[in-house]
Amino acid sequence: MNGSSQSTSSASLMMRGLWYENAIVRQVLGICSTLAVTNRVLNTVVMCAALVVTTALSSWTVSLMRRATPRSIRMMVETLIIAFYVILFDRFLRAYWPDMSRQLGPYVGLIITNCIILGRIEAFANSNPPLPSLVDGVANGLGYTLVLLIVATVREAMGMGTFMGLALPLFSGPLWDRWILLVMPPGAFFTLALVIWGFRSIGMMRREET
Amino acid sequence: MDDGSTMLNILVITFSAVFTSNILLTLFLGLCPFIAVSRELKTAAGMGGAVIFVLFCTTLLNWMIYHWILVPRELESLRFIVFIVTIAAFVQFVEMILDRYSPTLYQGLGIFLPLITVNCAILGASLFMIIRDYTLLETVGWGLGSGVGWAMAIVAMAGIRSRLANSRIPKGLQGPGITLIIAGFMALAFIGFTGIFQATR
Amino acid sequence: MSITEKPWYPLAYMFAVTAVFSGVLIGFSALTQDRVDRNEQIFLQRAILIATGAAAENTPGEEISRIFNERVEPAEKDGIVEYRLKTLDGRLQAIGVPFEGQGYWDQIRGVLGVNADRKTVTGIAFYQQNETPGLGGEIVTQQWRSQFPGKTIAVGDQPLRILQAGQTVGDNAVQAVTGATQTSVRLERMLNEDLRTWQTAFTGEGQ
Repeated sequence: MNGSSQSTSSASLMMRGLWYENAIVRQVLGICSTLAVTNRVLNTVVMCAALVVTTALSSWTVSLMRRATPRSIRMMVETLIIAFYVILFDRFLRAYWPDMSRQLGPYVGLIITNCIILGRIEAFANSNPPLPSLVDGVANGLGYTLVLLIVATVREAMGMGTFMGLALPLFSGPLWDRWILLVMPPGAFFTLALVIWGFRSIGMMRREET
Repeated sequence: MDDGSTMLNILVITFSAVFTSNILLTLFLGLCPFIAVSRELKTAAGMGGAVIFVLFCTTLLNWMIYHWILVPRELESLRFIVFIVTIAAFVQFVEMILDRYSPTLYQGLGIFLPLITVNCAILGASLFMIIRDYTLLETVGWGLGSGVGWAMAIVAMAGIRSRLANSRIPKGLQGPGITLIIAGFMALAFIGFTGIFQATR
Repeated sequence: MSITEKPWYPLAYMFAVTAVFSGVLIGFSALTQDRVDRNEQIFLQRAILIATGAAAENTPGEEISRIFNERVEPAEKDGIVEYRLKTLDGRLQAIGVPFEGQGYWDQIRGVLGVNADRKTVTGIAFYQQNETPGLGGEIVTQQWRSQFPGKTIAVGDQPLRILQAGQTVGDNAVQAVTGATQTSVRLERMLNEDLRTWQTAFTGEGQ
């Protein structure tokens, strides 16, 4: 994506990150760290919050430092900054929300290798001012969150009959036979595939109309 | 409670890493290259082989660094950074050696090595090893098993996708969509392997 | 030339950046170290207290630590540890027996509580499990665990049994979660293994 020729207004950045160039739907990037926890909406929310915060702050920090950082060590510095924010978040969870930290396990740490963050930094934050970089980070993080929240909602509602731990009216009653498969690994793959298919089909239909 | 790692323990860990708790199909690690590099059998096999090697060596290296350097100095919180640096350095090192001593192997394997550094399966394997508190011997089984498990999954995927090359897949599902569905079926199939453990006890 | 073009700049920059960020990290880690350590301990402590009936389900962490430090005393024999819950005037009230093993997906760790008579079960609590939510994961629900208080531990090969639906449940058995065969089988095995080693180590212990 060529960042310099497109408008960098916050609104357009948000729309691009959320929909037009949604990282998961377009390039299926960075799902490894979060797909594992999408069998519960609450866990997904926490993981995605971690990702949004990390992407935004890393983009912002890298952008702040972009004129001082030499090209040769650019990637190492970027990785260091990403790791910094992720570890901070992980530590915060372990100290103040240990149950959630236990449930998320090593997946928070894996955000460091998440291709989306590095992708955004390379494509945008490296050559743009700090504030737009922050917005870009937030936008892409939210786009990621949107897709995964849909996946998590489907999995938890149809697989366990709950949403954020609270029983749902139709799905937890006797009429619905819980699709346990959805809360197991295969369910994650199937649901994500269908969600991507849905997004892409809508996107293609829109494009055909214009 | 049993004492440390028995041979059976190690075998169980290795087996479950390959089959029942496959690092890719069950733990969801290493998905990006899995989706991107699984088109052709040859490239998939190359990537798989490289992953086995790097994963095995880095889990062992990281175990030693963690237990012999970080823990005695109470620096566990730096483990993320240290592991990533170790992995990056190791891959860099392997590239240099290959380049100098085996140009042919470098040609074949070379492109995959930088890609491996961002493969979350490598870092993930080391992180899981710490969380599960494996001994050195158990880590050997874990590293080998995880690597082989990942390689098996990607090679199988490439085999299936090359068969699908001539099928008519709906537009929205092409590429990552159908790959994820195939992965779902593979994950389903692998769940069947839990029967092995019932038989051994 | 400007400072960014000097040859030693990249190295110095990397060094400085690493130092700053690592410093903040280490500082924050040191600040939160106490909390993190306590949280780790609280997991096990909470399981022990809930299994022995000394604390209710949603007791806050501080309270758990307080009760634990006041009333629980670990005892070890032949490498096996048991946690003794004392009444307020120092007599033995209940014992927490830790158990662990490989569940269906991952390790399961928990504590089984027994009365001072070392036979009657007071409860069971888990502090680590990653079983299938809705299936094996049901073992942590209060509903399933409420089967345990009042059961007796038998002597011999199978101190405690977890039976599939349809079989009559005796004094030393509970009913498995429907559909969670793997988790139930493994849980039963790890419970019995650890209960047997515990019984062997602590036979003949007084009240």
